[in-house]
Amino acid sequence: MVQLTINGKKVSTKKGNTILEAALDNNIKIPHLCHDKRLMPYGGCRLCIVEIEGRKKPEASCATFATDGLSVWTDTPKVIKIRQTVLELILVHHPLDCPVCDKAGECDIQDLVYQYGSPRTRFVAEKNHALPDTRGPLVELTSSRCVLCGKCVRLCAEHQGKGALGLIGRGFPTVVQPAFGEALECDFCGQCIDVCPTGALMNKSLKFKARPWFLEEKDSICSFCGCGCTLTLGLTDGKIQRSRGMQDRGVNRGNLCGRGRFGFDYIYSENRLRSPMINKGGELVTVTWDEALNYISDRMKSIINAHGPSSIGAIGSPRCTNEENYCFQKFMRNVVGSNNIDSSASFGYGLVEKAWHMAFGLSGHRIDLKYPTGKEVILAIESDLTVTHPVFGLNILQAQREGSELIVADSRETKLTRHSTRWARIKQGTGVVFLNGIMRIMMDRGLIDNQIVLHMKDVSAFEETLKEYTPSKVSEITGLSRDELVTITETLVHAKTRMLTLSIGVSENSKGLDTVLAATNLIHLLGESPDALQIPAEYANTFGLYQMGVRPDAGPAYQWTGVEGKNIFEMLYEPYSLKALYIMGADPLVNFPDKSEIITTLKSLYLLIVQDIALTETAKFAHVILPASSWAEKEGTYTNAEGVSQMLPRLIEPAGQSLPDWKILKNLARTMGEDMAVHDTTDIVREIDSLRVKYYDSFPMTRIFNPVHYVPGEEPDTEYPVNMVLRDVLQHAGSMSTRSKTLNLISSEALLEINRTDADRFGISHNGYVKVISRRGTVYLKAAVSDSVPDGNVYVPTHFPHSAVSTLTHQSGKGRITTEAVRIETA
Amino acid sequence: MLNETALQEIQELKIRYPERESALLPALYIAQREFGWLSNEALLHVANVLNLPEAKVRGTASFYSMFKDKPAGRNIVQLCTNISCMIAGSDGLVNFLQTRYGMKPDETTPDGRFSLILMECIGACGTAPAMLVNTDFHENLTEQNIGEILETYK
Repeated sequence: MVQLTINGKKVSTKKGNTILEAALDNNIKIPHLCHDKRLMPYGGCRLCIVEIEGRKKPEASCATFATDGLSVWTDTPKVIKIRQTVLELILVHHPLDCPVCDKAGECDIQDLVYQYGSPRTRFVAEKNHALPDTRGPLVELTSSRCVLCGKCVRLCAEHQGKGALGLIGRGFPTVVQPAFGEALECDFCGQCIDVCPTGALMNKSLKFKARPWFLEEKDSICSFCGCGCTLTLGLTDGKIQRSRGMQDRGVNRGNLCGRGRFGFDYIYSENRLRSPMINKGGELVTVTWDEALNYISDRMKSIINAHGPSSIGAIGSPRCTNEENYCFQKFMRNVVGSNNIDSSASFGYGLVEKAWHMAFGLSGHRIDLKYPTGKEVILAIESDLTVTHPVFGLNILQAQREGSELIVADSRETKLTRHSTRWARIKQGTGVVFLNGIMRIMMDRGLIDNQIVLHMKDVSAFEETLKEYTPSKVSEITGLSRDELVTITETLVHAKTRMLTLSIGVSENSKGLDTVLAATNLIHLLGESPDALQIPAEYANTFGLYQMGVRPDAGPAYQWTGVEGKNIFEMLYEPYSLKALYIMGADPLVNFPDKSEIITTLKSLYLLIVQDIALTETAKFAHVILPASSWAEKEGTYTNAEGVSQMLPRLIEPAGQSLPDWKILKNLARTMGEDMAVHDTTDIVREIDSLRVKYYDSFPMTRIFNPVHYVPGEEPDTEYPVNMVLRDVLQHAGSMSTRSKTLNLISSEALLEINRTDADRFGISHNGYVKVISRRGTVYLKAAVSDSVPDGNVYVPTHFPHSAVSTLTHQSGKGRITTEAVRIETA
Repeated sequence: MLNETALQEIQELKIRYPERESALLPALYIAQREFGWLSNEALLHVANVLNLPEAKVRGTASFYSMFKDKPAGRNIVQLCTNISCMIAGSDGLVNFLQTRYGMKPDETTPDGRFSLILMECIGACGTAPAMLVNTDFHENLTEQNIGEILETYK
């Protein structure tokens, strides 16, 4: 710690902090425009000027280190006069168009002029008359208001790793804009909007919607990925108008991605369900809650009587709260009497839990969003965490900037590969071979952690499996040179601290249980703690849903239920295995693989209940549709990938007659003559708390090798010569985000990314439509010819209902790699 | 597209610095040497080779006056018009260059002989007005001697 005096008051601060940081940490205000905690000191705006005793000239406090014994004065008449002059200079060009500026009221420039005196300037010059650049979909750039502090430019390049904006030109004509003045084409995280101290960069969707002083701001948790970021939501008249990140707030510490910032408006979609509906003779008819619940109750009871409770299944939701998922499984287990309950987690997080248990005997795999910080080596396997979990991804990029060696083994170019220190371009789906190859080299060269490995029982069987993964074979399958493999192995082995990471989920198909198991084996060999493996849960409450017992093999808090229920594969892909299915907040027809197989199953049901916030593709097959309240319309908790439970406040009135999911379940139970013993969410929380006897971490840790062999996905042949790999796009998470009008402005349909060579081979042009044919079906997609994907492979996202990519895909039921062999033709 | 030798030069530059960004100025020099000026295509090319954001490359190129954003004449005349040169009559010289040689600021003469750039201070206030022709320095300019000087550049 460093001790210094500011304005006569003794303060202390961390070594390496600047005077400005020391002051801000101690609640001493120094005005500043160009400083941001996340960026390197810049010293551009000169407003944070201070006097330091014993130094001749005033200094910029944001670019001067705090050292022991300094005596700093922040508000002397001299300093104030300098600041006034600096402001005068800034106002030479600034238009002071506050009456028509959406920033007014929370504008740094406005506040400073208010504080320091006068909006007049002694310097006469032409004002900048640039009109707003309204071309972009979400960000509006009004360069006349810009004071050229460069914060947006630096944040975009230094922190986001994108560099979409530049300070172009020199002197008076300098403007902030994309390289050649084209419309802004970027990741659309909107972080530049948050850092802009003026109204130069603004959220277009908020334009002329609400004066900031009328916005009532409340914090909630993002409903998209597993990071669990805190959103600061601004409301007027009971409507959410905007979402922004506040410095240091939440697990995201003020960072947001485009989904969190712009995507919340899916709750205002025209597709929202406003009343219960029953399918009467092929037509969806609006009915009362009473009629809908009685209909379900009658049918369910007769099904239970005729076929037993095990003929009823249920699918829970990573978008619903812990309380709701708890009630859902309680409804199934106590009211219906069936363990047939599962969720999309079975395609992703469920596999991680399984591997975690097999390898370490542990449960409740959590990540630490800050884990990448300071690790010597970070290895990412076939994943772009900057897309699936953007805030976790930011922390990885930051670690790399601060000196971590980032090794990315991936088949396609991603943001992560662009920022890697080493990009091991392996072929898609060969992560297992890559990992086995590394382990074989470690074994051969005796580079393993003997203290740990020699105490493990099954080393010889494991070594036997690795025998066939000779460097030359691995090189042949992965396409990586032997030298590269050796270098990566040595880097990994010699590092003192490491992190292994990947993403896995229903929207990706080139990784499976085997990939996770291979990673756990590597953890054993390296003698690493299990924590070094960081695999985030996919969605907002995937982790929580698992804890709440929305799974066929265990109840809440890992209480084993005895009879194992049917899992998602048995429920959805085996027609006639069930008589009734209750789907809460999931859209299997869009998100899950093999659409036609699921349709066959859905059509075989006597009763399909879909409870959701919007009319989903799956809901169109339902006998009864129940309208649920969205994340902003109810109270509850989400548990993020770190295992942290965070409160969701009720922000707005529920849409139409929609009800929170737990209330629907409670009412349905009552209609069926049962009492769930829950009256409000506090009841449920109390009940959950009382059950948390065996929470994660309470199992003793073991170490077991689980040898895995490489099992490729569907192999291409002459008829279907191309591999289709599923990958997420940055603007979407699952299919719910596709109901957001703002996000759809950037990305509204599945683009088929294809290499130039392949495009020429199949006669496909950029932006042209193509016919994609797999063994299971055909869809038409728009092609995006791209140098970032390897030839022989195409990459497609699954989010979009209208693109119907799941028509092409298949599932394995065993957590295997399921890349598709497809044929591409011009449409 | 840059030729193999130029690309090789840039690759070698990359290794010389711990940060890729540090190689940007020398790489832009190489590109300008090869193309004569820095077109948008040339800037994109440099951005690609150095794996730097395009906005960073354009921002840097547009900041420095030694990088040209349009094709230039055979001889580049950089005349200072900052305060000392202005007081000593540089504005008159600008008019003279236009009437005598048809040279307009930021433009190239139709015969491709001269490009005129109005320069920020070149540190010759004591001997103002002053100019640079290509890399040659000329001071104490008048309407008489400026013509004689320019006649030596064909």
